Amino acid sequence: MRGLVATHGDLGRELVRVVEMITGPQHGLTAMTNHGKSASDLTAEIRGWLEDGADPESGTIAPAVLFIDDHGGSCANAAMLATRPGEPVVILSGVNLAMLLAFLSWREDLDPDELVARLVTRGRDAITRLGGVS
Amino acid sequence: MTVVLARVDDRLIHGQVTVGWCQQLHPDRILLADNAVAADAWQARVYASSVPPHITATICSVAEAVNLLCSGPADERILLLTGSVSAMADLVRMGAPVTHVNLGGLHIAPGRREVLPFVYLDELEAQSLARLLASGVSITAQQVPGGREFVVDEALVREFLEP
Repeated sequence: MRGLVATHGDLGRELVRVVEMITGPQHGLTAMTNHGKSASDLTAEIRGWLEDGADPESGTIAPAVLFIDDHGGSCANAAMLATRPGEPVVILSGVNLAMLLAFLSWREDLDPDELVARLVTRGRDAITRLGGVS
Repeated sequence: MTVVLARVDDRLIHGQVTVGWCQQLHPDRILLADNAVAADAWQARVYASSVPPHITATICSVAEAVNLLCSGPADERILLLTGSVSAMADLVRMGAPVTHVNLGGLHIAPGRREVLPFVYLDELEAQSLARLLASGVSITAQQVPGGREFVVDEALVREFLEP
């Protein structure tokens, strides 16, 4: 399973960098920024990344998760416009470190639906009040 | 209808619009005038889904947008968006009540040259800007509220067209 972290500014690049600080270098995990790109250029770049992972003979897109920082932004719009019905591509917004670490832990072991369900749970569970004034 | 912001932005509806400008201007409606998006149900759905629930989203052609702007309720606050300078110039030429245009983001692309850090134009787009200015519309470039604002005047456009 491939992963693309498409975000505003350098957020995605830094998330991938920190993930690799923790886990070591990873294959199939790419960061992409929206910086300086129009909606159509960003859509084309995400589409290009998906097609780079396609089977060279059949052209079938490889299973992938597109991690987006926030719903309603240019990255989310571009991700939705870059994918086509029936392709094994899931778009998840609200990417965080816990979600990416979970992706790397389970991406080769779980079927896509189970993987995505766990990523959503893991990403949400990471948002928790640890202490402070009550 | 009152146009509280008329913005040209080739990212169309995105965070700078729905968070930055909407929190500042409190529009009742975001009106995206874009012939290509209006003709593609999936694109229209994606962009409409980016609009906060308390704001009405309307995505339509340039001609439909002019009709809406000229006939809608007088007290409605509109954030008007186009993805190109030429679409905004068409809106004004067809009678849309726009007196000021905000250039919010026209990104680098083949055939375009840099005018300002977030504004790249080709010659046709610069000519559309010149037409807007000639019709009495003022133009500034500003990505977000409180961000640096650049005046776009005849001299800047002339310098771009005749360097």
